[in-house]
Amino acid sequence: MDMSENNKFGMEKSNGDGMPPEWQFSNPAMSLVPANTCIAAGLATPLTSSPYLPAPMVDALAAGHWNHNLRGECNILSTTTAISSTPIGKPITMSSRGMILSTAPGIFPTSLPHFPADSAFIERAARFSCFGGGNFSGMNLFAPSQSMAPSHRDGMGVQDLKTEFHMTENKVGLLNGSPVKNEIDKRISHIVIANSESHDANLTEDGQEGNTDSTDAAGNSSPSDLAVNKRRKIIQDVATDQADRGLKETTKENAESKQKVEQNTSRNTGKNGKDSTEAAKEGYVHVRARRGQATNSHSLAERVRREKISERMKYLQELVPGCSKVTGKAVMLDEIINYVQSLQRQVEFLSMKLAAVNPQLDFSIEGLLAKNILHGGSSSAIVLSQEMIYPQAYPPHQGLMHTGISAMANSSDTFRRAMNTQLPTSEYKESSLQMHNPWNDQLLNHMTYGANPPANAQ
Amino acid sequence: MDSKRRPIHGGISRNPNSTSKPAMAFHFLRALSHIRLTTRRGSSLARRTLRIRRAAYASMACSAGTRRAWSRALLRKLRSPAPRRGASVLPRRAARTTSSPDTDLRQALALRRLVPGGAAMEHCELLEETADYIRCLNAQVWLMQAVVHGLGDLSN
Repeated sequence: MDMSENNKFGMEKSNGDGMPPEWQFSNPAMSLVPANTCIAAGLATPLTSSPYLPAPMVDALAAGHWNHNLRGECNILSTTTAISSTPIGKPITMSSRGMILSTAPGIFPTSLPHFPADSAFIERAARFSCFGGGNFSGMNLFAPSQSMAPSHRDGMGVQDLKTEFHMTENKVGLLNGSPVKNEIDKRISHIVIANSESHDANLTEDGQEGNTDSTDAAGNSSPSDLAVNKRRKIIQDVATDQADRGLKETTKENAESKQKVEQNTSRNTGKNGKDSTEAAKEGYVHVRARRGQATNSHSLAERVRREKISERMKYLQELVPGCSKVTGKAVMLDEIINYVQSLQRQVEFLSMKLAAVNPQLDFSIEGLLAKNILHGGSSSAIVLSQEMIYPQAYPPHQGLMHTGISAMANSSDTFRRAMNTQLPTSEYKESSLQMHNPWNDQLLNHMTYGANPPANAQ
Repeated sequence: MDSKRRPIHGGISRNPNSTSKPAMAFHFLRALSHIRLTTRRGSSLARRTLRIRRAAYASMACSAGTRRAWSRALLRKLRSPAPRRGASVLPRRAARTTSSPDTDLRQALALRRLVPGGAAMEHCELLEETADYIRCLNAQVWLMQAVVHGLGDLSN
């Protein structure tokens, strides 16, 4: 699923230059990939091989023309171009979470009057774009933005900058969790949620402290945010012309309290339907409203939940045999219930069978079975098999018990080894070791019955 | 009593060790031997069946450990001698989240009854636990069939 979407964007081909492959794969919401590539392309690394970021685009970005060849899916690109171009419309474009096309520059004359951090931003973006799999821990890209943020209470642009950064640096976060980034993540993720959830919601501006859990995103806003929201509304109208909302974010690695599924809308309008990819990362998942869908926080959460449920249903479909062609939740649930019931009945039946066979058996059986079940993984299993050869017929009970018990001892050792290798959890080890003590006691007790000890001791 | 270690990630935890057959086999065979040792002359088949079935579920739960909600619930049920009252009472939380038509609700209820500890789970969690439970049940059935098969082979 992820790979197909990656292919769709052609990113795996294009991210050759120094783009760490994880960027394409680790993020199930690969929306970030184009964003990253866009930024990188726009600012530093020409991704000439990318079908969506041709060299002319890079040049254009560099040149600061943000009104041209904006690919649909790379809204960040537009944003960055907007940023790089000092003229007017830039902050608005950034504020639109990358949804803004460059098509409506005229709307933005009321944009943020001041955006002094432009050059700084560009610098940072340039620096930031030099990912190349490098180590970003030393890079404190966001320090300036941090210092910047409080100074711009109006700072929708700042926040959108952070949004952009968030997307890229989320990727960074995937590579290495730098503490700086975590902060930023908190800030930006909150902003993103705000953006995504309600267009008319007030963007909380203090990204400075981690406004982490503003998934409602509707609350605290200063008066300046109203203007921001108004502008955002205008932008939103413009943006709805656009086919796709290419802004995507990845989930942060560091756990945040809220979780939402990250949405990924494809470039072509035709794929408005089921492009959501669920971020398998722990922690913060960003939800973006799909086109034509309610951006209510409740509906988003609901959608997240629905997708989780559908994912689990798919997994169950794989588990339950003969359910691959069954569609529909109700039928699927019926099948699952039937299967569980049948398995439980089977357990019951088999236990009855075992109970019936039980009295005639002795320990050798368990040894043999232990060997079989463990596939003879260790040498002791081989010893086990040799001992099992002894009772061809049914010799006296005690003799068998000997071999059986030694076999069982072997098997218990084998079990313990197998268990220790397979189950690294400490508590399980303790319990397994404890279990051996009474077991061995029993074995010793029974060993005294036999006449001769087993031929090959382990 | 059990450390509630939940997978933090959003997806299904596809732990490769989720059904550790050797551990399960060890548990089960040990329990079988114990039952064989302690079975009395006059014990009925039904009683032995019950014991073996209990041993089967115990080995299942032990192999799953405390990672899973269903295994925890199963262990609790097995260790506490008194039968749990009101086991089928759905908590308000679970009831609220099952916002689905009637048949779905019925199925969800049936599933909750089947899966140990299912009554106290949300729908999403219920599905995940069901998946793991099915995996473990498969392993247990396979194990028991192997035992029966092996026993059948030896007694022939």
